[in-house]
Amino acid sequence: MSDRKTGVYLCGGCGIGEGLSLDQLESVAQENKAGLCRRHDALCTEEGVALIEADRANEGVTDLVIAACSPRVMTDRFRFDGTPMVRANLREMCIWSHPAGDEDTQMIADDQIRMGLAQVTRMKTPQPFTEGEWSQRILVLGGGFTGMRAALEAAAAGHEVLLIERSDQLGGFARNASKDLPHKPPYREPQPNEIGKLVEAVQADDLITVKTNCTVAKTAGMPGRFEIDLDQGGTASTETVGAIVIATGWRPYDATRLGHLGYGASPDVVTNVEMEKLLAAGGVTRPSDGKAPKAVAFVQCAGSRDPEHLPYCSSVCCSVSIKQALELIEADPETSCYIIFDELRTPGQAEEFYRAAQEKGVIFIKGKVKSVDGSLKVLVDDALLQEEVPMEGLDMVVLATGMVPNSTVADQPFENPEPAVIQVTDDIDPRSPLTFAGAEAAEKADPAARPMMAGAPLLNLQYRQGPHVPILADGFADSHYICFPYETRRTGIYTAGPVRRPMDSHEAAQDAAGAALKAIQCVRNAQSGEAVHPRSGDMSYPIVNYNQCTKCRRCTVECPFGAIDEDEKDYPIVNPSRCRRCGTCMGACPVRTISFENYHPEMISSMIKSVEIPDEFDEKPRILILACENDAYPALDMAGLNREQYSPYVRIIPVRCLGSVSLLWISDALSVGYDGVVLMGCKPGDDYQCHFVKGSAMAKERMSKVGETLKSMMLEEERVTQMEISIADSKAIAKMIDDFVETIDSLGPNPFKGF
Amino acid sequence: MTATTAPAGARKYDLNFARWVYENVDGGERMAKCMQCGVCSGSCPIGTQMDHGPRKLFMMIRAGMKEAVLTSNTIWNCVSCYNCVVRCPRQVPVTYILHDLATLAVKEGYAEAKQADNARFAKAFWWSAAKYGKTDERLVTMKYYYSFGFGEFIKRGRANQKIALGMIKTKRMHLGMPHKVKKGGELKAILAKAAEIEAKKHG
Amino acid sequence: MTNQGPSSQTILVVGGGISGISAALEAAESGYDVVLLEKSATLGGRVAQLNRYFPKLCHPTCGLEINYQRIKKNRRVSVFTMCEVDKVAGGKGDFTVTVKRAPRYVNTRCTACGDCAAAAETEVANPFNHNLDKVKAAHLPHEMAFPMRYVIAPEVIGTPEADKIKAACKYDAVDLDDKEETFEIKVGAVIWATGWHPYDAGKLTSYQYAAIPDVITNVEMERLAAHDGPTGGKVLRPSNNEAPKRVALIQCAGSRDYNHLAYCSRICCLASMKHAAYVREQHAEAEVDVYYIDIRAHDKLEHFYRRLAADPQVNWIKSKPARIEAGEDGRPVVCGENTVTRDIYREPYDLVVLAVGMQPALNGRATALELPVDDYGFIVPEEAAVSAAGVATGPLDVSMSVQSATAAAMKAIQAVSGRARQ
Repeated sequence: MSDRKTGVYLCGGCGIGEGLSLDQLESVAQENKAGLCRRHDALCTEEGVALIEADRANEGVTDLVIAACSPRVMTDRFRFDGTPMVRANLREMCIWSHPAGDEDTQMIADDQIRMGLAQVTRMKTPQPFTEGEWSQRILVLGGGFTGMRAALEAAAAGHEVLLIERSDQLGGFARNASKDLPHKPPYREPQPNEIGKLVEAVQADDLITVKTNCTVAKTAGMPGRFEIDLDQGGTASTETVGAIVIATGWRPYDATRLGHLGYGASPDVVTNVEMEKLLAAGGVTRPSDGKAPKAVAFVQCAGSRDPEHLPYCSSVCCSVSIKQALELIEADPETSCYIIFDELRTPGQAEEFYRAAQEKGVIFIKGKVKSVDGSLKVLVDDALLQEEVPMEGLDMVVLATGMVPNSTVADQPFENPEPAVIQVTDDIDPRSPLTFAGAEAAEKADPAARPMMAGAPLLNLQYRQGPHVPILADGFADSHYICFPYETRRTGIYTAGPVRRPMDSHEAAQDAAGAALKAIQCVRNAQSGEAVHPRSGDMSYPIVNYNQCTKCRRCTVECPFGAIDEDEKDYPIVNPSRCRRCGTCMGACPVRTISFENYHPEMISSMIKSVEIPDEFDEKPRILILACENDAYPALDMAGLNREQYSPYVRIIPVRCLGSVSLLWISDALSVGYDGVVLMGCKPGDDYQCHFVKGSAMAKERMSKVGETLKSMMLEEERVTQMEISIADSKAIAKMIDDFVETIDSLGPNPFKGF
Repeated sequence: MTATTAPAGARKYDLNFARWVYENVDGGERMAKCMQCGVCSGSCPIGTQMDHGPRKLFMMIRAGMKEAVLTSNTIWNCVSCYNCVVRCPRQVPVTYILHDLATLAVKEGYAEAKQADNARFAKAFWWSAAKYGKTDERLVTMKYYYSFGFGEFIKRGRANQKIALGMIKTKRMHLGMPHKVKKGGELKAILAKAAEIEAKKHG
Repeated sequence: MTNQGPSSQTILVVGGGISGISAALEAAESGYDVVLLEKSATLGGRVAQLNRYFPKLCHPTCGLEINYQRIKKNRRVSVFTMCEVDKVAGGKGDFTVTVKRAPRYVNTRCTACGDCAAAAETEVANPFNHNLDKVKAAHLPHEMAFPMRYVIAPEVIGTPEADKIKAACKYDAVDLDDKEETFEIKVGAVIWATGWHPYDAGKLTSYQYAAIPDVITNVEMERLAAHDGPTGGKVLRPSNNEAPKRVALIQCAGSRDYNHLAYCSRICCLASMKHAAYVREQHAEAEVDVYYIDIRAHDKLEHFYRRLAADPQVNWIKSKPARIEAGEDGRPVVCGENTVTRDIYREPYDLVVLAVGMQPALNGRATALELPVDDYGFIVPEEAAVSAAGVATGPLDVSMSVQSATAAAMKAIQAVSGRARQ
């Protein structure tokens, strides 16, 4: 440490110089062993930055405390690569949110300098994990439309691809399908199915290796070096790949469960998938007698949007029925086609496809099909004629059955070990009721009642957290995030196509390109030791001090990304390129053995302890706020920007995620005399907003046990709380803080103060 | 119109009638694009006076309900305000379709008995419009009532006395000489030309 | 397999909304230099103006914050605000793009201290809040503005007030001589992510948007519900600032309509469900009627529909309203036919929200820029030498836009560095 020298730079701009005593701050800096302290009226200007640069060059300054504005702004100015730096937020979180020239405001600034120095001297420039060999190759699982597109896209970007197909040939569903939906102007006619061309392109591509009759026996390793055990028709082999795209597609919903819609009652009641095959064969003939059908009814939402079957909308069935009807009419313009729907869903430009079908004479009937019998009598509750209409004289009935994602190998039985069960249910429940003003909280759906995906895992991941790729409630292997659809809880493994969400070929093609990009991005970042989204570029990663590890396994269980495995002696093994750097493992560890080079338990503890705690007679309580960097901290920042004023008794420390908060920090704070502690972070639970998936949920779970500890310390439970803060709470946050301070006031000072 | 007979539907959603209408009714092919949004029926100033309204009538055509369609008062009650046509998101020429269906109903013999009432009113309306270039509510009503005979004229007139007084009060109806357009001669010339065009169109 | 190689490996992204930001970051984080152009003073585009996203009801600024952090940490991304593409010359691998920069009158020395705003007196319409309120002529576009810099409205330039504003700045950040300028950049690939604008509700004459104050649009509803909007997040009637008791949400206000936008705008049904949630969260008594043709809650968004449908105070009426009239008390009266019951209704409401559709923002300029577009003005990227992302290509929700942006980044990467195919 002796060769390090910290420079503290005090900015006097934006009201800081007028509202605070910089002399006082300078003496605080010196008391706390700053190697150097300088002031500037506007540190963010070229001249200000030059001052800092000069000291780095000439004065041997190795660490920086920039005491100026928020770390969220002026990032392009205060960018000193390779130099540990702390931005003490004297502007947004001090002089803009507290009165100028006030004793309490000065105390905030003084503490910010103390915390900044405590922090920066404990930071190291992270050295990325780059050792060993790294593969740039992409594995694509599934040789259907999406998989082939993903393979071609990755190859076009210059990456080798290994394409694995379970069946004996490429093509997937589209191989047996008739025409494609129109995706280009004028969006009116069914388009040629080009799956054959796609197969040829894949086979002709020298960067793509295709293995058919091939399945994945197991997958170990991490991004940049996944070890894949393959089983190709009984022959085992091992391949190394850098990232994985899962494009296992979908299967039709089991129509035998749709007896009420006539499936099984007559051979002429078929599913849309069966109709597709008939159309592809050319010249549709009805199964019972081989005659060309003259009148065909399409029953929409056959199984979809039905809580008894598939609760979601399968998205493509409306357009597919329109396409099939148009193909039938093209073959014989006299054919009467009826599409019986509840809500007709032809979004975007597909509206024109709907109109084109109407022009060609397809009849759309809004209603619910009550029954279909063996004589093909369809009883429709016709919503617009306002009567029950029996439709007779039909030659065929087509059930527009929905899509079931192949997020498991459904036909391969699998003994679900306990972690796997969690993997397929441990996420938001899309059915959870919304709560509105004046209404009592509605009862939640029973999670146990949710259908579970059966079958074997696709990749059979050799991860501590189980073999499955996490699956959301409906069975799709999707991202939970709106703004980050390729967010994944298994780094380096991206899903594309209908296994992710019901989608048509156009969207699947885009999705394939997107997932392929994420895959190549991941292998490139793994090689350079950088994190992928959301802490993109972060080179720090968890380092375990095995001397102190008690093998409690909390880190391996709580990691939201399954980044930590256990060795044969139950010690945690970190896989750095799987890690997303949230620090949930660090927060989980009861004995502070996990740390990042620039973020670790001792660092935050020191920051907490560096704050000066006035004694109880000063009547100046101190409250520690540990604020999530992504939402709570910006909300506090914007409160400052809006000049919202709040209690000067709080001391704010940003954390990577509430998941990284160690309970030991709370006891540290209480033992040095803080009167209360607030964890500010994102919404956990249903519709969770934590971008590390379950960081705030883990914090909540840990906090539920804090009450007991506090009681045993003879402290009131109310002294420690977790606040749900969203980034949009900039106007509300001041009052939330003040309310908490009032609660603490009413409890009186922490009896440990001064011990 | 090429075909002279519209086929009746044997059962619901038999498409014979719908296809015939699509092909033979003025604007029928655009009717195929109706998506049942209801803007037409909702736009209709006398929508409450229609048994079905245009939107439902179009669905009934698809359902092959020939008799119900051609005996509907919807096809007669249209006042040609064109609100529906202007607002229809699928640009279905609702007004033309209704008028053509009315003509068809006459041809098919559905109009005579059931729609006599409408026909009388239409006659009275046309009389006023052609004579004065304007519809005079008082004269149209009187002429219409009188078409049922003198007794009915008195009876109906009395029954609607209150409405009439209300209309006079709010200046919706006036007493005294009927209002006329300024250049009656030009009106006559326009009407004559229209009749000529109409005659040519229908052979 | 021969590739002469692109003359530039830089990727240009046009448009700094969620699609453009995503495309830029995905390319940059894969190792490419990216120039991100934005026409307005700040990134974020349309999503920055949304209160929340469906179906999670989370705040768009949360994801924007992550993306802004990604930009701040990544030296490969260069952001230019106030910039539009004027001309594109050249072809794949070798484009020369002429960029036009509008004056901001504030330079990079701005610290966002706000002294200029304090000095300004003139108030101008606030485009961030869809002109529902006003801002000072010197203002920060909004609290999440990125870059965090003020902007001065052209209205005051050349007036004594401008000099006063300039004098108030301690950091010499006000540049009243700032002028429109053009410059050229050489890039290897272009991604168009120019997004959309809401359809002009004034064109829906029978809905009386201009005449009746309590008839608003869906995008305005987002600002009313937003904590930094004109009402501080309270959904109130514009006419009298009272809480609405009866609210009508009118779907397909312009969409699926040959007279306006012939396509379906895809997102409006779900956006209106979100608006029903805004109203119901704030007002215990409120009844919400949704007028629709078809409820289009595709894929898993169906759950969101079910969750709203479970609320007895949200009603669903299958009807495209014919017109809106001003009632005697000035309240909007929605008139039309309920297509399921055949009732002709005339329903008075306290607030009517028109779910206006999305129109491509590039509209009208596509020809000049030689971009292939469909009849509606959406770019058809398959036929283009350039990539396109997000709503520039068709009506998409945020998730699909980001998906399309990621795919567009892939195409751009292939153009600047991939091997040649065929």
